[in-house]
Amino acid sequence: MADLPLSAALPAAPLRTKRRRLALPALLTVIALTLVLGAPELLPTYLVNTLIRAFLYAAVAITVDVLWGYTGILTFGQSAFFGMGAYAAGLVFTHLGFSPGMALFALAAGVAVAMLVAALLGWLAFYPGASPLYGSVMTLVLPIVVSQLLYSGGNFTGSSSGLSGFESFDLSIEAWFRIAGVFLVVLTGAVWLFVRSDGGKILEAIRDNEQRCEYLGINVSRVKVVLMIACAGIAAVAGFLFACVQMVVAPEYAGFVFGTELLMWVALGGRGTLIGPVLGTLVLDVTTSYLSGSLPFLWKLLSGLAFVIVIVALPQGFTPALWSSMKRWRRQAAAPLAALELQTAEPRPLAGLQGAGRHALALQDVRKNFGSLQVLQGISFHADPHELLSLVGPNGAGKTTLMRCIADGAERSAGKLWLNDHEIKRAPPFACVALGAGRKFQNANVFETLTVAQAMRVARTRHARPSLWRRSAVLPLPAAALQVMQATGLDQHLNLPASELSHGMKQALELAMVMALEPSVLLLDEPTAGLTKPERTLIGQILVDLTREHALCVLLVEHDLDFVREISSRVIVLHQGRIVLDGTVDEVVQSELVRAVYAGGAHAGSS
Amino acid sequence: MTLLLDMLTTAAILYGVAAGLLIVFGVMKIINFAHGAFLTVGGYAALLVTAMGWNPWWSLPCAFVVGAVCGMAVERLVMRPLYSRPLDAILATWGLGIVIGQCITLTLGRGVQFVQSPVTGAVALFGTTYSEYRLLLVPVVLCVVAALGWVLNGTRLGLMTRAVIMNEELARSLGINSALVRFATFSVGAGLAGLAGALITPLSSVDPNMGVPWLVSAFMIVMVSGVSLVSLGVACLVLGSAQVLVSSWANPILGGLTIVVLAALVLRFRPEGFARG
Amino acid sequence: MNITNRNLLLCIALAGASASALAKDPVVIGTAVGLSGANSVVAPSVVQASQLAIDEINAAGGILGRPVTLEVADDASGAAGAQKAYDSLLFQKKVDAIVSMETSAARNAALPIVSRGKKPYIYTSFYEGRSCNKYMYVNAWVPEQQVASVVDYFGKNLGSKSYFLIGSDYAFGRGMLEFTRKYILSKGSKVAGEEYLPMDGSDWTAIISKLKASGADALITSTAGGAPNVTLTKQLRAAGVTLPFGNLGVDEGTAKSMGADAQGVYVAGSYYTNIDTPANKKFLAAMQKKFGADLKTPNDLSVPQYEAVWAYKLAAEKAGSLDADKVLAALGEVSFEGPRGTIKMDKQRHAALSMYMGQVQPDGSIKILEAFKNVSPGEQCPKLK
Repeated sequence: MADLPLSAALPAAPLRTKRRRLALPALLTVIALTLVLGAPELLPTYLVNTLIRAFLYAAVAITVDVLWGYTGILTFGQSAFFGMGAYAAGLVFTHLGFSPGMALFALAAGVAVAMLVAALLGWLAFYPGASPLYGSVMTLVLPIVVSQLLYSGGNFTGSSSGLSGFESFDLSIEAWFRIAGVFLVVLTGAVWLFVRSDGGKILEAIRDNEQRCEYLGINVSRVKVVLMIACAGIAAVAGFLFACVQMVVAPEYAGFVFGTELLMWVALGGRGTLIGPVLGTLVLDVTTSYLSGSLPFLWKLLSGLAFVIVIVALPQGFTPALWSSMKRWRRQAAAPLAALELQTAEPRPLAGLQGAGRHALALQDVRKNFGSLQVLQGISFHADPHELLSLVGPNGAGKTTLMRCIADGAERSAGKLWLNDHEIKRAPPFACVALGAGRKFQNANVFETLTVAQAMRVARTRHARPSLWRRSAVLPLPAAALQVMQATGLDQHLNLPASELSHGMKQALELAMVMALEPSVLLLDEPTAGLTKPERTLIGQILVDLTREHALCVLLVEHDLDFVREISSRVIVLHQGRIVLDGTVDEVVQSELVRAVYAGGAHAGSS
Repeated sequence: MTLLLDMLTTAAILYGVAAGLLIVFGVMKIINFAHGAFLTVGGYAALLVTAMGWNPWWSLPCAFVVGAVCGMAVERLVMRPLYSRPLDAILATWGLGIVIGQCITLTLGRGVQFVQSPVTGAVALFGTTYSEYRLLLVPVVLCVVAALGWVLNGTRLGLMTRAVIMNEELARSLGINSALVRFATFSVGAGLAGLAGALITPLSSVDPNMGVPWLVSAFMIVMVSGVSLVSLGVACLVLGSAQVLVSSWANPILGGLTIVVLAALVLRFRPEGFARG
Repeated sequence: MNITNRNLLLCIALAGASASALAKDPVVIGTAVGLSGANSVVAPSVVQASQLAIDEINAAGGILGRPVTLEVADDASGAAGAQKAYDSLLFQKKVDAIVSMETSAARNAALPIVSRGKKPYIYTSFYEGRSCNKYMYVNAWVPEQQVASVVDYFGKNLGSKSYFLIGSDYAFGRGMLEFTRKYILSKGSKVAGEEYLPMDGSDWTAIISKLKASGADALITSTAGGAPNVTLTKQLRAAGVTLPFGNLGVDEGTAKSMGADAQGVYVAGSYYTNIDTPANKKFLAAMQKKFGADLKTPNDLSVPQYEAVWAYKLAAEKAGSLDADKVLAALGEVSFEGPRGTIKMDKQRHAALSMYMGQVQPDGSIKILEAFKNVSPGEQCPKLK
């Protein structure tokens, strides 16, 4: 493999820019902590009381933002976990008495129960193939179930009265203010580090394009479940603190109305910005408390209206308006980010498998039915490395369906499939990636809000686990991916968000991402769709080079028969779900049968 | 026997409440979380009708009209941009529900109020006495649903609506004005919600938040049933009966949970729910 | 300007300043009541009673020479709402005392905040008993004063032997029915069933069906005041239930609003408008004069409120200041002659009361069947005096 030139990079620059990048947030954290520690003496008692509650609500709002704003999971259920933490404290202190040991036990119990329930919810809501609507419905069901269970608990849970009068920590209001405030600041800081880290970008990738993540080898279900569990634990801690301060717990705190209030605060503050929801919650909750005596309905009406407007017209909320006014300053501080170093990664194709097999790809009698409609009828063939195999046929022949069956084990109705001599059985897409499949979709299936570099790093997740709190200044990519990026000029646009790329560049980015997987079987669905002539030539050349130099087996679905003739080593013609011809380019081009098939005259089975 | 009547009447009530939500979901593939607010609006319409001294049966058509008018306003002003964003539609309609609820509170007060039942007293039936009004709800709801079914199956608008439900792109390319269909559907759905609200208030009470518990149950039932009035009826019967059974044998509160939990489980293991095929 | 004009202006300014200093700070009495939620049916009558008391006190010179104002907050009849309401009353509006009629859920949630706010708190709603707090006094009845009258009447006069109990699932419902069950069993009768619905629940269908299936010959209920009473009674009558029906938790105003449904229900309490005493007649006349056509029927939840506001005035004047500890000490010593008779909260923070047992008439009024004088609340807060 040829040694490819690396982009120039100044080793000193990354360190200086990193320090500068972190300076502002660190300063803000220090200011926040100072405010939190010093403020209680200066503020009126009512505001101190209200802010303690608001701090804890803001902590839960952070979890909602992580789930919804960053990952795209619309969740109504964080209130349920908050309630679980609160009731853990209430139940333990009421029925078992209070002591520091009991408090620790209650905290542990609350967090444990919340996490268990979150795991169960995740299993129910995020199974492979679940629709986002179903997931949200499940998160809606949870707080209803929890609050109703609390109502049914009779004297044990206090039912409608809730639990009160239990003993708690003997701390002053000012002390609680500091505890809640420090909790919020530390939590915000930690979560902020996470979402801006390389690992955190996976969340946004899932939000932007879940399907693409699946086909990049990321087990999206597992990520969602783990995230849910972590957020549940955090919400439970906030609930526990709440119960200790308020010394009253009521079923409303675990209910679905509170869950929707959290969503409202996050939406109005600005979903996906972290600071927005925190500020939004603080401002809105405090304002509600102050106005609830005088203008309760008008205020609620206005916030409801604002919520509707934000959802319909301003999905980013109000905070980003402030943010954009600071953009100029931010851009200056962020400019040196550009020095990202591309490196050649150690080749690790099929990491975890016993190397390449006899055939890169083998199919035996693969069938696919939609009800009574037979789309694929007994497809059998095999393909080897260094082959560039084109799949052609008229519309409705089953080409894309066949692609889907190769990349997703659950898709086919019958038959066997091997990738690198490993039978894929019913493996979901991310597992097929592990067996060597890399699928590029027909339309440019990329991550709109991620930059080119971030997208490439997400694509490398399976091989190089990204840090959960750091941003690496170095991006190791396999030679094939680097080749694609250099040939198409993507390496000059590392910090450009994908939404600003041209259609052709997006296609190239997707190809580069798939090559970052180090697949042994590359599945391309109409790669030339929407490309100009020069772009088509370029892609063709890239594909030929990849096949020749990197031992790839490329399977490509195409309508552009000139393109097929130029680059393929082998062509398979599909018609009405059956292979009509499997041979070299010349054989296919000269076949009478193929001509008839394309003209629409022949039916499969007639000679 | 009482148990059976409970199951039947509960199913009928759920049917009435869920029918409006179903047609909106079927045509627009979005869940209208303002449905609870429309229910409340209908309840207050009934309150006003009885307060003005009219015959209580007038509250039904009045509630339908008031609900439909609200629905028209909402569809025109808010719903258009949301059709392609189902999750955002849930949130926006919930927000609308809050707005409507606050408007009601500002004009009519936040307290709990009561509506006189058009029909009071009990009827001796099969050896037990049973609430006459509850029994009457069954034929009333069936009539309403039958009327809805007739509109869907027997009129041109209904035909257009069914076409849009099945394949909107195709329907539009055939010249069907899908915007009109959506407008009509949403308004009728809201009207039905209002009507249901007027039907249920004599059983309990009217307050600005009365729609919320019904919203969630109706929503879960709609998710579980297919897009046909018949499968909705089946779903209401099955889930409503389950609720009554659990309420009787265990705990009325757990009974309230039954619909939600059962629906969630059904959806997990059979995403089409009660739909046929 | 010349010197005389400047002096004049100075004098006027000084006079204005001292005049404003003389205009006294009002004494603020806070009341948290369920303007929304279960209690919203009764809340307006409670606010009216408070307003009358304050008017009368102001007409008589206020408290310690200072005018009195009322600050009303909505506790949504529940725990979460009460937390917000009490926070607002004690820390935002900075009231001098709280006199509240509210559900037990709200009271339980409020007590920790009252302890932190350190202001006197008079609870004016009948409740399940044994709620004790350094800052709280209660002038309404507890089960020891009420339940026996109903159960005894049922047993003696109606021959009831098997009771079905229905309640709202919270401290009041559970506490009252627990006491009732014990009392019924101690009298040798049976309890055929005991069912609860959450405070805001309104669908009693399943419970009514269970009642019918249980074969009980009497029904006793203890739901939250207001809406749950109405929905339950409506649905019972719609289902054709005609058993002897004793409602431990309904007040006259709510009973009246139920119309024909409430007829025949047996009730017991410390106040009904039919009480024939000069003090009551004077009170009713004053209410009628102040509110006219808007008057909400005074009842067992609103009259104690009126009496409690007056008790606070008397206690503050006896103590000579608004200081919480002094007023709290004085509250146990003052007695007020109100529509319910002489009220003195000297029995472990509770009061001995005259109780009445009656039946709702077709026109909504209560016909008093039995009267009991000076009924003791029993041991409520032995640790407090």
